Amino acid sequence: MDILIYGTINSVTLALYALGFALVYGVSRLPNFAHGALYVLSGFIAWSAVNTLGLHYLLSVVLAMVITALIGSAIYLLFLIRVRGMAISEIIASYAIALAILEGLRWIGFKGMTYTLPAFIDGSTSIGGISVDYQRLLVVGAGVALVAFLWFFTRYTRIGLALRGMAQDERAALMLGIDSDVMAVVAMGLGSMLAALAALLLLPLGNIVVESGYNVLILAIAVCIVGGIGSWVGAVMAAFLIGFAQILTVVYLGAHYQMVVALLAIILTLILKPSGLFGQQKELEERV
Amino acid sequence: MRRMRSLVLSVFLTLTVLSLLFVSPVRAADPIVLGCPLSMAFLYGWAAERGFTLAVEEINAAGGVQVGSAKRPFKMEVIDTRDLEPGVPVSEALLALEKLILDKKADFIVGGPVRSEAALAAMPLLSKHKKVSILTTGSLTPNYHAMIAEQYDKFKYCFRIHGEAKNLVGEIFANFAQLKEKHGFNNLFIMAQDVSHARGAAELVKKLATDKGWNVTGLEIYPTGGTDFSLGLLKAKDTKTEIINIWMDMPESAILLKQWYDMKVPALPFGSTLAAAEQPGFWKATDGKGEFTLCNVVNAGNAPSNATDWTMKFFDAYTKRWKVEPEGLGSSSSYMAVYVLKDAIERAQSLDSDKVVAELEKTDIMSVYGRLRFDPKSHQVIPAADPKEGAVGSILQWQAGKRVVVYPKSIAMGEIQLPPWMKK
Repeated sequence: MDILIYGTINSVTLALYALGFALVYGVSRLPNFAHGALYVLSGFIAWSAVNTLGLHYLLSVVLAMVITALIGSAIYLLFLIRVRGMAISEIIASYAIALAILEGLRWIGFKGMTYTLPAFIDGSTSIGGISVDYQRLLVVGAGVALVAFLWFFTRYTRIGLALRGMAQDERAALMLGIDSDVMAVVAMGLGSMLAALAALLLLPLGNIVVESGYNVLILAIAVCIVGGIGSWVGAVMAAFLIGFAQILTVVYLGAHYQMVVALLAIILTLILKPSGLFGQQKELEERV
Repeated sequence: MRRMRSLVLSVFLTLTVLSLLFVSPVRAADPIVLGCPLSMAFLYGWAAERGFTLAVEEINAAGGVQVGSAKRPFKMEVIDTRDLEPGVPVSEALLALEKLILDKKADFIVGGPVRSEAALAAMPLLSKHKKVSILTTGSLTPNYHAMIAEQYDKFKYCFRIHGEAKNLVGEIFANFAQLKEKHGFNNLFIMAQDVSHARGAAELVKKLATDKGWNVTGLEIYPTGGTDFSLGLLKAKDTKTEIINIWMDMPESAILLKQWYDMKVPALPFGSTLAAAEQPGFWKATDGKGEFTLCNVVNAGNAPSNATDWTMKFFDAYTKRWKVEPEGLGSSSSYMAVYVLKDAIERAQSLDSDKVVAELEKTDIMSVYGRLRFDPKSHQVIPAADPKEGAVGSILQWQAGKRVVVYPKSIAMGEIQLPPWMKK
């Protein structure tokens, strides 16, 4: 029972880390290596709104999500648009932005372990004799709701359909009048907002530290590679695969090997099925 | 024109003579450069820097260091080694250290490298440059002073002024014995971070606990950056563990303590180098969920106590200077390292490394955390449970929003309390 409960929580956590990254890549073929940095940044924005500006927590959360989305869009408009289509340059540019954000946060004084956000719901309950806190249950609930929202959004809204069109075939989408750059801006904004949502759900479980930006990025990339880069359905499936594999590793091999699972998954996927579980790209393209 | 040229030349010559007359004494008062390699984004880094700064300011305000006939001020050169950050290779810390020695012309090294692996790797470099180094923060590995004892001639320039893992384990076991006697505890679960000192200490605790008749219900090693401890805590709960011994200095240990509270695990979290719980801001950061957490801040002075006459003077001066109480490991030891170095330099009347080493070995002063002496063979500060005998540690427990020192008895400000869900 503990494997089922905590495996699910871990999987949803990984899915939350990865969905924003998968969405941006899926739509604009842009590997946003600033994803982890935006995750951390949104946490500090919410923290500052609560503790410095004295705003209500829920308002701070909404504000952090909106600001992060705007920053994500601005990153595309100011920097990434110039290197669009040059894969290596996109990686270098977005990673440089990530470094600038994370090191900038540290430079202005956000270091240490005392930056925290309050849990939305305090306390814990018992499921089948296993103790689980409400915040983690909220994470699962929010994760499921988010997947449902994304499914609905990409099928029944004009913007969502345009994003799907871009993801499926950019040239065909252009021929139908969908502006590729506008959609990329929307995707970056939405992806950044998803990073913020993940942060605001998960950070109350611990504390906000700059270093977690790198961890989140690694895990998001692992999930996306295994799921098939760009496929958010694949990302969800891969999150469950890696999430449960990690928990089983903790139970049967030891917590020590937990981090290895994600990295091993990347290596195995690249060897056995480079396009990932649900990847639609050509093998050669993905290798590049 | 010729007269004008002569005038300019005369003025120039006069100024040159004057500068030779008056600037020379200033040159004689060149500062003594303290190179401080620290991992600045972490508590053990910035706490050490604040300790150094406070001591340097106090010493310089009092006139500086008497070296022969000259009074020379201390000057700090801090460099960020980043060695506590996950994924940062040891080589980065070594490069930073070498920069301090070669570029910044550090006369002495104080502080780190902070991570044990980097501190060990730095030893040959310090020997190569014959730089006296006093470790003041972070590194707890017993291998450090063991290596000095084994190869004294090679590593004699290295000293450590704060406690080390074996001593910390001893202090922790003294508390375990008390808890066993008072509450009948017998089940111990160990959780450690995957870094050298923590792994080593956890294995040692496991071995010693088994030898002493404790039932070790589990030992889990977590990767640095691990964010979920639920299964370990569930295991602890299922095995009726009464004490969870935690060896982690990563920020994510705050997640562990919050999970412990939320799951109401009926076991006392007893940490060592549990950086998250050392800081005064821990209470607010956990909304009080960290109450009853115990942690070892390694030396007295890092939490309020009356170990010596100097303890609270330091504590108050630090609080006044930095608007925050001494936050944990590295604060008092770094502060003392500067005073100890001043004392040794003044007795050596020189900055010569070999002479200073000889004087450091003779150090015997009453410090913020008790009588301060180095073992002449291993250059490890001599520990004791009584501040009159040696350097005392400090184990604190969070009680009603305050850090209360509960060990050693000689300086304790309170007793260990159990969370309500543990009381029978």
